[in-house]
Amino acid sequence: MQYVSELGRDELIDLATQKYFGNVDGKNMDAVLDCFHNEALFTIQTDHTTHSGIGEIRQMFENFFAGYETIVHKDFTCTVDPDNGRICAVFNVEVTDHEGVVTRMQNTNFWRVRGNKFQEVYVYMSGANVLVRE
Amino acid sequence: MSSAYPYEYYVDIVTKRYFDGVDNKQLDQILDCFHEDAVLKEMTSDTTHAGRDTGIKGMFERLIVDNGRVWHGNFVHTVDVEGEAICSQFSVEVEPTALGLGPLRYENCNRFYLKDGKFTEVFVYMSGQNLLT
Repeated sequence: MQYVSELGRDELIDLATQKYFGNVDGKNMDAVLDCFHNEALFTIQTDHTTHSGIGEIRQMFENFFAGYETIVHKDFTCTVDPDNGRICAVFNVEVTDHEGVVTRMQNTNFWRVRGNKFQEVYVYMSGANVLVRE
Repeated sequence: MSSAYPYEYYVDIVTKRYFDGVDNKQLDQILDCFHEDAVLKEMTSDTTHAGRDTGIKGMFERLIVDNGRVWHGNFVHTVDVEGEAICSQFSVEVEPTALGLGPLRYENCNRFYLKDGKFTEVFVYMSGQNLLT
């Protein structure tokens, strides 16, 4: 689906890396969800899993935040297509569970922006899905 | 800092040259998209193929021989002219004849990084079993 975006190159990068991942790492639920439209779709493509709407997306993040002591996303390389409201980023992920077990991946996300928020998000993981759903 | 290549160049090299070559098993057409020292890495299985005429060529020779029908479509591209990169999401249908399996369907993505109009690095994420061995 093609959407009309209000965001320029720097704003797309800021939305994806700071407003979104900065707040995921800080476990700031309200700020994370504020990046999404209410009817947004969040798909983990490498796990054939889709979370539909803000309620399911909230549940996914509640599970994710509860499952890990620390969550770190870093070393972003962004590919930005402002004319089409799309941004892709590759980044390193490091999550540590409550037993101290560390999982590291190098993932790729695609975001499609409508207006100034995410309408669709696609995640491709280099390992097992850590965004588990109940 | 603007690239010499326009937006459509990136879409065309991915769809009309690279994946057209893969789907039609045209090895020379595929390899012509890469620089000689290019690297292709399959991220979900941590497999690296280095060198257009060595590792990458060998991978595609096996892909062509080991599989029947191969189709890539339903593309959505994220094109960064300034950054000389294109990231593409797409569907794949494959008949893995050498494995003796029925048709497989994937929802994959590739990240292509270019220099002077050809691929220097390609990163592949597959939503199922790695066929790029």
